[in-house]
Parts: sequence; structure tokens; C-alpha cells
Amino acid sequence: MTEPLAIASRAVELRSVFDRERAIPLSTRAIEQVAGLLSIRVSGDPYAIRVSEISGLANDRKVVAFPSSIPELLGVAGIRGGLVSVYSLAALLGYGREADQARWLILCEAEEPVGLAFSAFEGYLRVPVTQVYATNQRDAARAHVKHVLRTADLVCAVVSIPDILELIKRRCDNSRPAKER
Amino acid sequence: MWTFGRKIAAGFMLAFLLLLGIGAVAYRSITSLTNANQLITHTYKVLEDVAEVLSLLKDAESGQRGYIITGDDTFLEPYQAGVAGVPAVIKDLRELTSDNPHQQKRIDEAEPLIAAKVAELKLTIDLRRKGSLDETTKVVRGGEGKKIMDNLRRIMSQMDREERDLLKLRADEVGAVASGAKSTIVFGTVLCLLFVTAAGLLITRSLSGQIGAAVQHVQSSSAELQSAANQQASGAKESSTAMTEINTTISELLATSRQIAESAQRVSHVAEETSSAVRAGDQTVQKTHDSVNGIKRQVDLIVTHMLDLGKKSQQIGGILEIINELAEQTNILAINATIEASGAGDAGKRFGVVADEIRKLADRVGGSTKEIRLLIEEIRAAVNTTVMATEGGSKAVDLGARQFAEVTAALKQITELLGTTTEAAREIELSTKQQATAVAQVNGAVSDIAKASKETEVSANQTLQTAGQLAGLSRELTRLIQAPANA
Repeated sequence: MTEPLAIASRAVELRSVFDRERAIPLSTRAIEQVAGLLSIRVSGDPYAIRVSEISGLANDRKVVAFPSSIPELLGVAGIRGGLVSVYSLAALLGYGREADQARWLILCEAEEPVGLAFSAFEGYLRVPVTQVYATNQRDAARAHVKHVLRTADLVCAVVSIPDILELIKRRCDNSRPAKER
Repeated sequence: MWTFGRKIAAGFMLAFLLLLGIGAVAYRSITSLTNANQLITHTYKVLEDVAEVLSLLKDAESGQRGYIITGDDTFLEPYQAGVAGVPAVIKDLRELTSDNPHQQKRIDEAEPLIAAKVAELKLTIDLRRKGSLDETTKVVRGGEGKKIMDNLRRIMSQMDREERDLLKLRADEVGAVASGAKSTIVFGTVLCLLFVTAAGLLITRSLSGQIGAAVQHVQSSSAELQSAANQQASGAKESSTAMTEINTTISELLATSRQIAESAQRVSHVAEETSSAVRAGDQTVQKTHDSVNGIKRQVDLIVTHMLDLGKKSQQIGGILEIINELAEQTNILAINATIEASGAGDAGKRFGVVADEIRKLADRVGGSTKEIRLLIEEIRAAVNTTVMATEGGSKAVDLGARQFAEVTAALKQITELLGTTTEAAREIELSTKQQATAVAQVNGAVSDIAKASKETEVSANQTLQTAGQLAGLSRELTRLIQAPANA
């Protein structure tokens, strides 16, 4: 159990950190190349997603099942006043549909708004871009993973959202009738 | 089945009856012979009197003739004797023939003739005495006297003939009676001999068979008696040995009974001391029971407070969930604001910084809520553990209170039982003393029984010897009643 003294000192530390950061002028802040990443888990495995590649994050949205020939399509959900097609990120990553309810959604801007559902959101990471390494694997099954995040206490693949969107686009094209293409 | 005595008595009885019959027949024959002899003697007496009458009259006639011839009175003696004796003979003859009317009639006829003859004789004698010989001779020559005598001879002859006929008839009767008596005696004797011989053979055979069977029974019984006597002797010996062991055991039992009496006395003392100790313990238990009841009330109060604490912890947990939800939503909003800020380019940088700080604050709030949740979980776990432990303690206290009540009841029961135990120990002591006395008496009785067993052993040996002698006697009796097979 955390001791009351330690809690009090921690509160003091937090307050000082907040005050210090607020006290630093924006122009004088260190110009450091950082990357914003979302740390998530898909079927229990850790993944990272670049914040710059998505348009939003939502949770606990009702997904209405929609009949489709695309197995990864879970249905549609209403977000910010519009309909969003929701796909299973786990299925797109080759895991198959997750057994647990995918209560988190990341929103992506493509030709049509797309939502990628996953089961667990762990947090927002700001890491130096030097900790993001490019991979040189040519595995077709892992084509959507082109970078790896490696920090002191975390190693995970960085999912390329544009590649995922491209994959969705290909599936949609394949599922359409030939005349419509 | 007839007994020996009955058979023998029957045989002798039959022989006696035969002899009695033969004797009766002989007696009757002898009686008949005696009667016949008396009648013959009677007949001979009658014949003798008949002859005597004629002889006396002849003597009187002879004396009359001598006197007439000689005139001498000495010749009158036969006359006088004859005349004097005839009436007595006639009287005797009449009495002897009183049962014969024919003879009585003849005597009636003879008596006047005798009187006439006596009168004729007297007349002639009187005439001669007077000296008138001629007159006398004339009377004699008249033949009256001869005529009377002839008639008398005829009558006497008739009487004699009838008596001789009777004599012959009675002699024949005597012969017949004697012949019957002889035949009866001869045939009866032969029959009796035959019967006695047959009865003897039958009785001998029957007695031999029955006595032989009885002797065989006696022999087998003697053998069984020998066997039984042997068993009795061995049994008496074993009994004597067992009695000795029992005597030893009873002596040990006697010593044990005395030890039990002493132990019971000690138990009685210990029970009394225990009873006083239990009374003291009962008071202590009562005090402890009151203390336990106080503990129980305190524990119940603790349980109530801990349950309240648990409820409060749950409420805190609910509030914390709300805070966590708000933090999560804030985080999402901050991330979305960051995304929007980055999409706005340089214009959104300052906004991005604020959004980032908000996100950090939300992160920290989220981290703090996680810690608080952990703390609340720990508190709830501790409360649950404490409640369970307290409830366990409460149950233990309840159980302890009930057990104290049971202990109090048990102590009361122990006190009562100790009283009973004391009484029982005293009764055991008394009973054991009585038992020791009884065991001593039993010991004496067992000693007597042991002596009796030895005496039984001795008598069994004597019985064995007697059975052997009885078997020998049976064999000798068998030899006596059964001829040897090769004899």
C-alpha cells in the first residue's frame, strides 16, 4: 500500500511539474522530433498507431451489424453525426475476429470515413522518432507493419494505417460486382 | 410277561391243585370205604345176633332137656343163661336193624315165638320140678316146642339170608369204591408227574432264555458301567485338577477383590476432591462465561462497523468508477484535440500543447484512479477478510459461549456424577468386601468340592472294580444257565 507521505510528496511533484511546464514559454521549448503514438492491444499483442495517421478516437460506440461479403466488416456506427464503416483491426491484421468485444475505435479519413475496432487502449505515447525503426521484412502477411517502436520498457509493431486503408479498399473493390467497377 | 416267581408259583399252584384233586378223590374213596366197612361190620353184628338168638334158645332147650332127664338143677344153668340173654340180644338186634323194615317185621314175628318157647320151657321145667315126669314128657312129645323152634329157625334163616345179601351188595360197593380210588390215585399221580415234568421243562426253558437275555444285558451293562466308570474316574481326576486350579484362581480373585476394595476407597476420596475442584471450576467458568458474553457484544459491534466500512468502500469504488470514466473520456477528448491540433498546423500548436497537458492530466488522473482502485480493492479485501475473521470470531465466541454453557452444564453433571461416583465407589467397596467374604466361602466350598471330586475318583475306581466283578459274575451265570456249545 502506498504510504500517505509518499502520496503527499507525489502530489507536490505533480504540481511542480505542471507549474514548470506551464511556466516554460512555448517558443523556448526544445524542438525535438517526437512522434505521437497510441499504444493498443490487438488479440493480446501490443501495437502502436501513429496519431498523425488517424482522425479521431472513440469508445463504447454501438456498431450495427451490416451484411457484407467482406469478412472484416463488423458493421456501421454513428460518430460525430455521420455513418462510419467499422472494420475489425484484428481481422485485418490476420488474427481473425476477436472474441472480446472491440469497444475502442480509431477513426480514419479515406474516401469514406472508416473505423477500426480493437479491444484494448493502453495510452498515448510521445516518443522520439529515433525510437521508431523501419523494418525491412517482405512478409506479405505483415505488409501493414513497416516500423517498430522500441523504448526502454516497450517493443511493439507500428501499424501502418494507410496500408490498412489500402487493404480495406482492395477488399471493397473485390467485393463489388464487375460492372460497378 | 410273567415273572420268574409268577411262573414258578403258577406251576406249583397247578401241581397243588392236581394233588388236592387227587387227595379229595382219595379222601372221598376212603370215606366211602370206611362207611362200607362200617355197614359190613354192622351186617356181621346183625348176623352174629341172629345166630346168638338161636344159640341162646338152644342152650335153654339143652338145659331144659338135661333137667327133665336128671332133675338136677345144675342142668338149668344153660337154660337160665339163655333165657336171661335173649331179650338183650333181641333188643340189640332191633336197634341194629331199625333202618330195615323187613328185619323189624321179622323181629316182630320172632318175639312172640321166643316168648312161647320160653313159656314152654318154663312149663316143662316146672312140671319136672313138681315131679311129674310123665306130664313133662307129654308136653314135650306134644311137639309144640319143636314147632316153635322150627318157626324161629325159619325166621332167623330169612334174617340171615337178607343180611348176607346186604353183605354181598356192600362188599361189591366197597370193591367199586376201592377200584375207583385206585384208578384216581394212579391216573392222577401219572397226570401230576407228567404235568410237573412239562411245567419244569417249560419253566426251565423260559427261565434259561430270560435269564440268559438278562445276563447278556447285565454283561453289556457291566461293560457300559466299566466304560462309564472309567470316564467318571478320568472326569473326576480332571475335575479334581480343575478344582485345584479354581482354588488357586479364587485365591487370586480374593486378593484382587481386596485390592479393588482399596482402590474403590481411593476412588471415593479422589471423587470427593474432584467434586470440590469442579465446584471451584464452575465458578471460574461462570465468570469466564460473562467475559465471553462481553467479548461477543464487542465483536458484534466490530462486525457492524466493518460492514459499514465495506459499504462505504463500495460507494467509494462507484464514485471512483465515475472519476475513471471521466478521466478516460477526458483522455479521449485530449487525444482527439491533439489530433485536431496537429491537423491545424502551426495554428494548432498552442492548442495541441494544452490538449497534451490535459491528456497528461487525464493520464495522471487515470493512473491515480487505478491506484485508488487498487487501494479500495485492498481495503475491501481487508474489510472482507476482517468481516469474515470477525464473523468467524463471532461464531467462535458464540460457539465458545455455547461451549461454556455446555461446560457449565457438564460441570454440574460432573458434580452430580461425582456424587454418584462417590456413592458407587462406596457401594463397590462394600460389595467388594462382601464379594471377598463370598469368595472366601466359595473357596471353602471349592475345597470341599475338590475333596468330593477325589472321593468321587475313589468311588469311580471302586465302581470300576465292582463293574469288573459284575461282568465276571455275569459270565459265570451264563455258564451256569447255558451248557457249553461243544458239551
